[in-house]
Amino acid sequence: MIIYLCNLLNIEKEPIRILVTGAAGNIGYAIAPMIARGLMLGPDQPMILHLLDIEPASKSLEALKMELQDSAFPLLQGVIATTNVAEACKDVNIAILIGGFARKEGMERKDVMSKNVAIYKAQASALERYASEDCKVLVVANPANTNALIFKEFAPSIPEENITCLTRLDHNRAQARLAEKLGVPVSSVKKVIIWGNHSSTQYPDTNHATVSTKTGDRPVKELVADQNWLRNEFISEVQERGAAIISARKQSSALSAASAACDHIHDWFLGTPKGTWVSMGVCSDGSYGIPTGLVYSFPVICEKGSWKIVQGLSVDEFSREKMDDSARELAEEKALAYSSLSV
Amino acid sequence: MAKEPVRVLVTGAAGQIGYALVPMIARGIMLGADQPVILHMLDIPPAAEALNGVKMELIDAAFPLLKGVVATTDAIEGCTGVNVAVMVGGFPRKEGMERKDVMSKNVSIYKSQAAALEKHAAPNCKVLVVANPANTNALILKEFAPSIPEKNISCLTRLDHNRALGQISERLSVPVSDVKNVIIWGNHSSSQYPDVNHAKVQTSAGEKPVRELVKNDEYLDGEFISTVQQRGAAIIKARKLSSALSAASSACDHIRDWVLGTPEGTFVSMGVYSDGSYNVPSGLIYSFPVTCRNGEWSIVQGLPIDEVSRKKMDLTAEELKEEKDLAYSCLS
Repeated sequence: MIIYLCNLLNIEKEPIRILVTGAAGNIGYAIAPMIARGLMLGPDQPMILHLLDIEPASKSLEALKMELQDSAFPLLQGVIATTNVAEACKDVNIAILIGGFARKEGMERKDVMSKNVAIYKAQASALERYASEDCKVLVVANPANTNALIFKEFAPSIPEENITCLTRLDHNRAQARLAEKLGVPVSSVKKVIIWGNHSSTQYPDTNHATVSTKTGDRPVKELVADQNWLRNEFISEVQERGAAIISARKQSSALSAASAACDHIHDWFLGTPKGTWVSMGVCSDGSYGIPTGLVYSFPVICEKGSWKIVQGLSVDEFSREKMDDSARELAEEKALAYSSLSV
Repeated sequence: MAKEPVRVLVTGAAGQIGYALVPMIARGIMLGADQPVILHMLDIPPAAEALNGVKMELIDAAFPLLKGVVATTDAIEGCTGVNVAVMVGGFPRKEGMERKDVMSKNVSIYKSQAAALEKHAAPNCKVLVVANPANTNALILKEFAPSIPEKNISCLTRLDHNRALGQISERLSVPVSDVKNVIIWGNHSSSQYPDVNHAKVQTSAGEKPVRELVKNDEYLDGEFISTVQQRGAAIIKARKLSSALSAASSACDHIRDWVLGTPEGTFVSMGVYSDGSYNVPSGLIYSFPVTCRNGEWSIVQGLPIDEVSRKKMDLTAEELKEEKDLAYSCLS
């Protein structure tokens, strides 16, 4: 009855502007139709897509715009495909930063870092200047946490709680791996945590993870026969999954990265499901002894458009060491990034 | 109470249309947000590693609706128990190849696909052929799967249909969801006939004919038609690859409307087995305007056809007849 009345009254929402940088690449190609179908913000939220990439990619970018038009998506009320940063950033409410400098063979970490620092410094200025005041930012391009940190440093008027990086992909991978091991539906696995850096030092933590069963939620630790597996193979499998995908596909993850980015934004805006939490890379407030001044992945719950770190979870010695390891790597990346800036 | 999962087969799943399509299926875009699915992904042995990579990513995406993934190079395993089959796999034309060569390769592919589906798919399996030459591949499939009801075999012209909607929406600067009832007649090729004679736009003053609002018959009878006909080539020119995202999305629309029904007052375009409607010869897979209800399509009858349309509809039927003859010559 209510749906009938709403249709009758034609209640329509104002479109939300969503920016995707690096849009002409593989992740952009995967994410654009997902956004246009309402997977990011719900099936009744219209949007206008802002697609940004660099000049050499302008033809591919135009082709993406053409294909989006050809798809006749009801929710997609406009597409701005541009190589002009100001035009791309104008009034956007959400920014998905996929564009970055990918590491090439023979490149040193320092070289990749230096190129990305320059990119994210410029992105930060542009978004700070042109985006909507409440703009929420998700950094996907690697090194995701440090790119997000640089971004934050150079967009001081963007509230730091609006700047995040993607570790939802790792979170989803961890959830899926557990589901596979236990032979249960993936949606019955809850409360995994990805701590730290979106890199091979991330810590996939199952200490608080549960599985919904007929007899209620039971700890994963109880249901997995092999505790050793949880502390070793499971962790390295999740950490190295990105490399495993590259090995099989000869290209890095696009479909799953795009999908995880949609989940990240969806839960941020529309709230996390009851009875579980998700992982997001956010500006550390010192929780769990993690130094401030880093973008670090924590377990969070989202409500009314804001995330909050889940507090009070017990952290054993094993976890402590891994969490600190990842924090140390992030501090090193930060130092490297800053040294690139002073050059 | 959760629904029983539906098994959906995608052939050529390791390719770029497959890569765009499978997450859409897994998110419920094809069959609805409450319909669990099990994906069957089939490709040829050289693509086995890439196919496994796609399976890995589908698992990594933790899709709540995705209850299983079968990734295989074995046609029988691929086809077993499937309720929906989206045939994306085929032999693409390479530089220097003659039409006859491409046709010959695809005829043998679709002949063997037909046999596998007929034997192993679930009863009432709905088939959508995407791979080109789509109409003729679908016809071959039909001929070699005689126990699959002919109404269950279709080919994709929804992409052309959606492209036509997109062009009108651009031209009039109106939301694309306000445009409806364009028709794509005929072959999914450059001889297709995008017909706006019955198309409408939702305005504040009710539904108006597209011709009335565009006020430019020269455009609608000329540039509009060739733009839609040649859009595929335009995409290839810009991307250096053929359409994937839009083809995948249209395939989802085609199946969704077929299974869940078209909205009241709206028709869509599907390549279906001709029953002689509109004087289109039977024995061809031809794109018609259809409505869908209770899992079945029916051709919209009684639309007036003017002389210009008649000619174009006949032209594309002729091309399909030639393709059919070529296909049959490859078989012998």
